[in-house]
Amino acid sequence: MATTPMCTEWQFSGNEAAKEAAAAALGAYTSKLMALCDPNGKPILPPSNKAVETSNSAEKAVVKFILSGTGNAYAPSIGLPLAKSAVAEYLNRDLPKKLTAADVFMTVGCKRAIDLAVDILAKPKANVLLPRPGFPWDVVRCIYKKLEVRYYDFIPEQNFEIDFESVKKVTDKNTFAIFIINPHNPNGNTYSEAHLKQLAELAKELSIMVVSDEVFRWTVFGNNPFVPMGKFSSIVPVVTLGSLSKGWNVPGWRTGWLALHDLDGVFRNTKILQAANEFLQINAKPPTVIQAAMPDILERTPKHFFHERGSFLKHKVDIGYSKVKHIPGLTCYMKPEACTFLWTKLDISCFADIEDDQDFCRKLAMEENLVVLPGIAFRQKNWLRHSIDMETQTVEDAFERLKSFCERHSAERGASLKNVNGVN
Amino acid sequence: MGQYTNLFVPSFETDQDEEVERKTEMQTLNGGGGGVWRFKGNKAAKEAASVSMKGILSRLFENCSRDGKKTILPLGHCDPIVYPCFKTSVEAEEAVAESLRSGAANSYAPGVGILPARRAVANYLNSDLPHKLKSDDIFMTIGCCQGIETIIQVLSSPKSNILLSSLVYPLYHSYAIHDLAEIRKYELLPDQDWEIDLQSVEAIADHNTVAMVICNPHNPCGNVYTYHHLKKVAEMARKLGIMVISDEVFKETIYGKNPFVPMGIFASIVPVVTLGSISKGWLVPGWRIGWMAMNDPSNVFKTTGVVESIKHLLNISPDPSTILQFALPNILEKTKKDYFEKKNLTLSQNVDMMFDALKEIPCLVCPKKPESCTSLVTKLDLSLLEDITDDVDFCMKLAREENLVLLPGEVFGKNNWVRISIGVERSMLQDAFVRLKDFFTRHIKSQTT
Repeated sequence: MATTPMCTEWQFSGNEAAKEAAAAALGAYTSKLMALCDPNGKPILPPSNKAVETSNSAEKAVVKFILSGTGNAYAPSIGLPLAKSAVAEYLNRDLPKKLTAADVFMTVGCKRAIDLAVDILAKPKANVLLPRPGFPWDVVRCIYKKLEVRYYDFIPEQNFEIDFESVKKVTDKNTFAIFIINPHNPNGNTYSEAHLKQLAELAKELSIMVVSDEVFRWTVFGNNPFVPMGKFSSIVPVVTLGSLSKGWNVPGWRTGWLALHDLDGVFRNTKILQAANEFLQINAKPPTVIQAAMPDILERTPKHFFHERGSFLKHKVDIGYSKVKHIPGLTCYMKPEACTFLWTKLDISCFADIEDDQDFCRKLAMEENLVVLPGIAFRQKNWLRHSIDMETQTVEDAFERLKSFCERHSAERGASLKNVNGVN
Repeated sequence: MGQYTNLFVPSFETDQDEEVERKTEMQTLNGGGGGVWRFKGNKAAKEAASVSMKGILSRLFENCSRDGKKTILPLGHCDPIVYPCFKTSVEAEEAVAESLRSGAANSYAPGVGILPARRAVANYLNSDLPHKLKSDDIFMTIGCCQGIETIIQVLSSPKSNILLSSLVYPLYHSYAIHDLAEIRKYELLPDQDWEIDLQSVEAIADHNTVAMVICNPHNPCGNVYTYHHLKKVAEMARKLGIMVISDEVFKETIYGKNPFVPMGIFASIVPVVTLGSISKGWLVPGWRIGWMAMNDPSNVFKTTGVVESIKHLLNISPDPSTILQFALPNILEKTKKDYFEKKNLTLSQNVDMMFDALKEIPCLVCPKKPESCTSLVTKLDLSLLEDITDDVDFCMKLAREENLVLLPGEVFGKNNWVRISIGVERSMLQDAFVRLKDFFTRHIKSQTT
């Protein structure tokens, strides 16, 4: 295309406001790695474009509203009242202090609930505490809203519990909130009741709220039960984020929520409630038709749907975990008890020609058509996140490819090659 | 009350709650609950939200009486789908049901949208365009609203300004405020079929102007711009070095004589961003799916970084449901023509009825019968009224005395005008007319000799 003199005449241009934020999203890493795969080679794993089944009842519920024509109108910006009360009722099953519909806001997926939580807190001097590692959407939004981020750490040897010392170290008078992810993506653990209570008491001591991303609460298959952070709202004000996406396998439906578990009217007094209302008034809304189906979806999905999903995931986790045990250079500290991933530490010294986790993932994509995400995407360099949400044969294939890649690049083998070539 | 419950959910609390708030704050500060919490809700969206329709509509509804003597007539906002006489097309319903049942639309979609949806929108728009759009030129959005949000955010910079018509859908203001973009208003000419006053456009543009927004068919005026007029708009924009953003969300809601002309036809003169959705055409605003189309044969949007900016922003913004994206090709391709004809006929008959009826209410003057969209705008002749100060006062009193809610022009940029929604049941319009007549008779200025 010839450069036209026309472009100098035009006064408009696209700004770069979203550029840095977009680079922090997982999608940025995934698409780059996908691009390195060979479309004419082995099937690219994890497979995309597969039909994902959700619960029959959920599907039927939405179809019902589509065909009845009662889900076609605008919903109120804070969410359809029926949906809000359905979510409140559902969450209340595990809560001593009950939520009302007014405490729940419907959002476009859990991602938008995260955006909302960040946006209402963002202020020039404020900072928030985010988990490292952690699903980076909260970082993405903080970058976009120019909200200062500080990280706290985990103790892998203690089943990835939160390192409270690391929390205290980074907190100061401008800290507004601590964000947790429970069950944790990518660590794969669920926090115990005792641990969450400790967290609540620490947050109270530091005068900050707890924001808990609980999107994976339905994909728990280990021995530890899920405990909602809202249980401790008599100690500290809590914001819970959730959606249908992971529990029902329907991330494409884009319907989630934010729930305010208030303590003595604090959210009202500090204008958190008002800020949330205002944000939602000018922002995108989830489809009315799915909101209308929420009561049916939440109340009528049979328990066995979740049991089957849990068994499916547990089985695949077992496969992946046992394969990884035989791969030197990769360490899985804890067999996941939730979510859909395996999280392994990468020991660079075991490999001949791998610089870091990004390099590992790039080469793996190119050579094996296997996409594994580098820990740096989750703010923890030299770890790897492996998806296990695939059919048995596929997951076995994936880990076989991983194994042969690691063997090919292992330091021992490399060392012998280097000797031959005389390269230092 | 049932069908209006969505209107009565207040977006924020009333005076009563402020009292509770004050009391609780005192308690907390006085040591209850372990001291003062550090976090606070910020006001980022406050001003932006305050210019939205919902604020004023809430206040108008609060003014209505709930003693049951007169049903509340909500003609201040436009959502025809809540009424049985307006339905979406059967083909659209089937398309979405099929999308759900297939299980193929449950996954995440890319930020720009799934390819079949983008391709379908390109095909749909291309039937009227000489320069054909490719699927890459289309971005899927959560309704037309997110298209507005995206393009304003992408163009905002500390010095830039955007030209908007003085009569405009309030959400443009909300986003401009929120993104700190300067808005400058150009005039429309009520006596020339609401055409754009191009001289006023040239007068307010400067070297920091980046775009002008047009709405065609026009909400709320209801006119459809001619080819001739749009060509002049394109030439003016080119002269000023700015893009045209054309909000065409009402293109399938035309019942008058003037045919619809897409702004994209003039893309060889000036680059055009077209915003659209199925919300109005198919009466499904609750499905939340729309698009942005880059009409740009000379690739200006690429070279100026606009396309890249949009992609980055869409990667960190919420997405329209994959279910709807997957169903979109069938919705766009299979809906039969007679669906639109029927729907538009109903609206046309409503417009005719109301336009004629208003002739008997001299204080409300409609300069031009709408040929599209779902409302009528009328000028308020205050000289004929006793004790009514302005459009807001008129609407507040009307709500209180007659339980009839109309939208004051202040909200859409024209003081002392009033907007009446006609996307409602016929009987409601007849009822509204009777109440307006009564109100006028009560408030008419006495003739002093």
